Amino acid sequence: MKTNVQSTHAERPNLISRYVPPAGVHDEMMNVDGTVRPHWQPVLNALAAFDPMERSVRADRMNRRVRETGIAHDMFADPSRMGQPWRVDLMPLLISADEWQWLERALVQRARLMNAILTDIYGEQKLLASGRIPPGLVFSDPSFLRAARDILPTGGMLQFFATDLARGADGAWRVIDSHTETPAGIGLVLANRGVHTHVAGEVFAASNAQRLASFFRDVQASLAQRCGRADPRIALLTPGPHHEDYFSHAYLARYLGLILVEGGDLQITGDQVMLKTLEGLQPIDLIVRCIEGALSDPLELDPSGFLGPVGLTQAARAHPDRVVNALGSALVENRGLGRYLPDISKALLGEDLMLHDAPRWWLGDPTANDYAIQHIDQLVIRPAHEATGRPGRASLGRMSNVLTPQQRTDLIRDIKLNGQTLVAEEKIGFGTSPVWTPEGLLPRPFAIRLFASAARDGYRVMPGGIAMTVNPDRAVGLNAPDGETRDVWVLSDAAEPPHVSLWRPTVDTAHVQRAQRVLQSRVADDLFWLGRYAERADWTMRVARSSVVRQQEDASQDVSQRAAIVCLQTLLAKDPKAALAASRAITPLQANQNSAAYMSRLLMSAAGGSHSLHHTCDALHRVAGLTRDRLSLEVSRTLNALGPQSAWRDRLALAPAGELMDRLDEGLLAIAGFYGLMHENMTRNSGWAFLDMGRRLERGLNLCEAITPLFGRTTDADDEMHSLMFLLEVADSFITYRSRYRLDPMLPLVLDLLLIDETNPRSLAFQLSSLSGHLSQLPLSRSGANLPEEQRILVALLSSIRLADVQALAAANERHERPNLVSAMTEQAEKLPELSNAIMRHYFNLKEELPHRVHTRS
Amino acid sequence: MIYDISHKTLYRYSAPVSQSHHIMHMSPRAFERQVVLRHSLLIEPAPTSCIEAADYFGNPTSRLCIEDEHSELVIHARSTIKVAARPLVDLDDSQDWQQLAPGLADASAPLDLQVLQFTWPSRHTMPTTEIIDYASASLQPGQPVLAAAWDLTRRMFKDFTFDSSATDVSTPISTVLKQRRGVCQDFSHLALACLRAARIPARYVSGYLLTRPPAGQQKLRGADASHAWISVWAPETGWVDFDPTNGSMPQTEHISIAFGRDYDDVSPISGVLLGGGRHTVSVAVDVAERA
Repeated sequence: MKTNVQSTHAERPNLISRYVPPAGVHDEMMNVDGTVRPHWQPVLNALAAFDPMERSVRADRMNRRVRETGIAHDMFADPSRMGQPWRVDLMPLLISADEWQWLERALVQRARLMNAILTDIYGEQKLLASGRIPPGLVFSDPSFLRAARDILPTGGMLQFFATDLARGADGAWRVIDSHTETPAGIGLVLANRGVHTHVAGEVFAASNAQRLASFFRDVQASLAQRCGRADPRIALLTPGPHHEDYFSHAYLARYLGLILVEGGDLQITGDQVMLKTLEGLQPIDLIVRCIEGALSDPLELDPSGFLGPVGLTQAARAHPDRVVNALGSALVENRGLGRYLPDISKALLGEDLMLHDAPRWWLGDPTANDYAIQHIDQLVIRPAHEATGRPGRASLGRMSNVLTPQQRTDLIRDIKLNGQTLVAEEKIGFGTSPVWTPEGLLPRPFAIRLFASAARDGYRVMPGGIAMTVNPDRAVGLNAPDGETRDVWVLSDAAEPPHVSLWRPTVDTAHVQRAQRVLQSRVADDLFWLGRYAERADWTMRVARSSVVRQQEDASQDVSQRAAIVCLQTLLAKDPKAALAASRAITPLQANQNSAAYMSRLLMSAAGGSHSLHHTCDALHRVAGLTRDRLSLEVSRTLNALGPQSAWRDRLALAPAGELMDRLDEGLLAIAGFYGLMHENMTRNSGWAFLDMGRRLERGLNLCEAITPLFGRTTDADDEMHSLMFLLEVADSFITYRSRYRLDPMLPLVLDLLLIDETNPRSLAFQLSSLSGHLSQLPLSRSGANLPEEQRILVALLSSIRLADVQALAAANERHERPNLVSAMTEQAEKLPELSNAIMRHYFNLKEELPHRVHTRS
Repeated sequence: MIYDISHKTLYRYSAPVSQSHHIMHMSPRAFERQVVLRHSLLIEPAPTSCIEAADYFGNPTSRLCIEDEHSELVIHARSTIKVAARPLVDLDDSQDWQQLAPGLADASAPLDLQVLQFTWPSRHTMPTTEIIDYASASLQPGQPVLAAAWDLTRRMFKDFTFDSSATDVSTPISTVLKQRRGVCQDFSHLALACLRAARIPARYVSGYLLTRPPAGQQKLRGADASHAWISVWAPETGWVDFDPTNGSMPQTEHISIAFGRDYDDVSPISGVLLGGGRHTVSVAVDVAERA
């Protein structure tokens, strides 16, 4: 025993024994003489306290957490689309307190400078008239929005500012890009920090690094200040779930308590920005713009851009402080500007520029253009302006040594034709910093993104950021296709204040003062369908499970399987036959197309169709993605287990009968977990009402649709008894029935339990009365003297079921038909979809088309 | 010359429009040789809001929003404009086009941004190698800038055929050059691309053209049209107009509405609708010369 322990110690690789930075390159952790810079020591000690196995486990857990959180591969993204790789290293990047003091001042200066440049260009344009900035650089940049001239917010053009920095070989920081269009991935810093502290909190605690929360409180205060009123309503405007930065937008919105909206949720009325909510149009005080400026208003800006509401420019003209960053703010991202900044800094701020740009030439300048063509083989050519919101996505550019002769000719032609849209750059090299590997720490070239925000008195820099590993042979900007990130920790001289509650992935946040939440019509729509799809998946799996059980346990197939076949047929009949292609999972033994075995397989494995289990789970996953800013992380993870490409889904199609039961149980458990989480965590507001209405409506509909074919005609007593047991099982009411009656199931008693008994949460009456309760609580539930359409339908359905007499329903005529039951169920099954449509018409503005353009041409 | 101009546009929608926003460049701009004597704009249905303000280029614009449901929209602009002839220009007495750029950047004086902003390509005037080749015949070394512009105007008039079926708003000028067909917007965009690729300041002019009926015939009502041409800058003269569609130098029969980099900056009416389904549009323009 003792020797074992000793040998483990002896074999433990020293964390830094293999750490040798390349010669002539600045390294963050190690001095040239091989000694470790002192500010790294506490973190190294904390990591050394783990044994190597523990470090590997933590590193793996970190990336599992990344996947589960959805930073890496957006778990709700279209599965056919490539994920964005994103990994968080166990090893953070550390910045010492001394260095930070300088960086902080330098970044604040740059933010002030960029803000001053924008104020000039969208105002007096003295910088252009004096030639301090070549006018062509501005006039050729598509992000210069002429319509935004003179829209100058009193709080400044820039609320958010981010910059990408690289450490040159000489140890000096160089700016390799600026981000002034949107918050540029600020949410990812929060997410990374959350992941790191979740998995290795003790390392962070040992570091005495600054926390992020107070920075975000300043951001909140500053946004509120721009609104100029207490309890403002602030929206974060995102391009929507298809956008690569959506994760970051949703995360930031949730953290700051902003309403996450898309262009279609907003409408400009007069010159006011309004949000379409269940309560009607509600004014918005401030838009945090996460969409490209040029695409924000098809009326006055790029005519092809429909990401913002029509008329936003005019609204901003009337209220310049209503949009941050200001429209047109992306202009100063132009890479050609760097060369002119030292001079501009002197002119505008009267200060020497602290932080310089990497060496670059704007090729709209004739001299630079000639030079670039002559020295093409030593330069990298890139667009002067490119949108690079997501960290790591800067382009590599064109370097003649990796081009074919034809590409080289094309490059020279482009420089001659459109030099004004290009820059030429020299490679500056990148400093290194440690990454963790199972063999110990290794030096890797890196660049970092740091963030600043306007605060009450000037700009404040976030004490943190994102470092990414770059390929120094190719990259000149923050290009990190592998998504290898490191959390940036800014060390503090002072003792850090005790942990302030950072946002945790649960339903509500404690420290955020949030305005009363409003529900966008679009979100209500999505929640309604979330409820419907979850219930549809539940019902489908219950039917499948009850059929599969019978295939296994019962020898006398003919009798006991009739109910299963009828219910499966009902579900399959919702799709045209051709849509449900039989899958590879169906074996010859199951080939009888009228058997329950075949049909249950088809329902679970068919790829097409609109009611197949695959389709239902895909749809569930999609709407969960659309509503993810309303769902907790746990809910997302629970539903993700059923998502496309989940292991569960893979096994479901192929599993043999025995395993199939387990898979269905797992699926049902996931849905139950989803309901449980929602039930326990979701506040009982309109959002809850729509989710629950969707579920109730779907449940009622499935029940009615099953009853008619099962009991519309009498069959022999044995068969009917089996059918009743099947239905009780699918409707999860078997135990209730048994505890109540201690009899074999009889139709009138079962109908009472499943249709009329309002205390049974599985009964039709319960579904209808819940729907009624929700509808009467909703805003706009009474408009005018008459009941709205959906309430009228519901009153009819509910009274008809409340007035029903089970004996009459169960009565059969001489032709073995049960006309009362059939007509009652048919009425319900026809009216419930009408009810769904009426709800959608009333609340979701279905009629509204997307805006579109017209123009004349002579 | 004094003209009475009526410009009436009628939109009909197959489905009701619930909200519409429009930006219009319908009020002729006043400048050195053009005086706006009267202008009125009639909109039916009456807009919820109508804001009149100059755009970035100094052109009068109206931004209107209609929030009442409508299935027809009439925009009727009426103007009375006095146009003076431009003093005769000696095309050969203008600066060498290759010397323009340094001349603009006179280190001592502030840069003339009103001119410089028209030296760079815009969305519809991006150059291609073929466009530069086409332009090169007119841009001989040492050629005075206005003489070069006039040569280009004449060549385009000779080489290109007016054909309103050959292009639409989305046709790129590289196609126009290839097929040698198009309408006044296309020719103007192409000419601008030729000149701006050489950093010659040139702007797009949107306006009206007086047409005369064939001898002995009555002029038809509504037969006039919106028109587009270009304006080129030389230090000696300022802006001088050229019309590549007609191979002419506009004098008093061209009435300017607005200047911009290209059509997108000055399109007479552009709108964004909610609803509306399909739409038809009819435009009637009358330019009447006062006796």
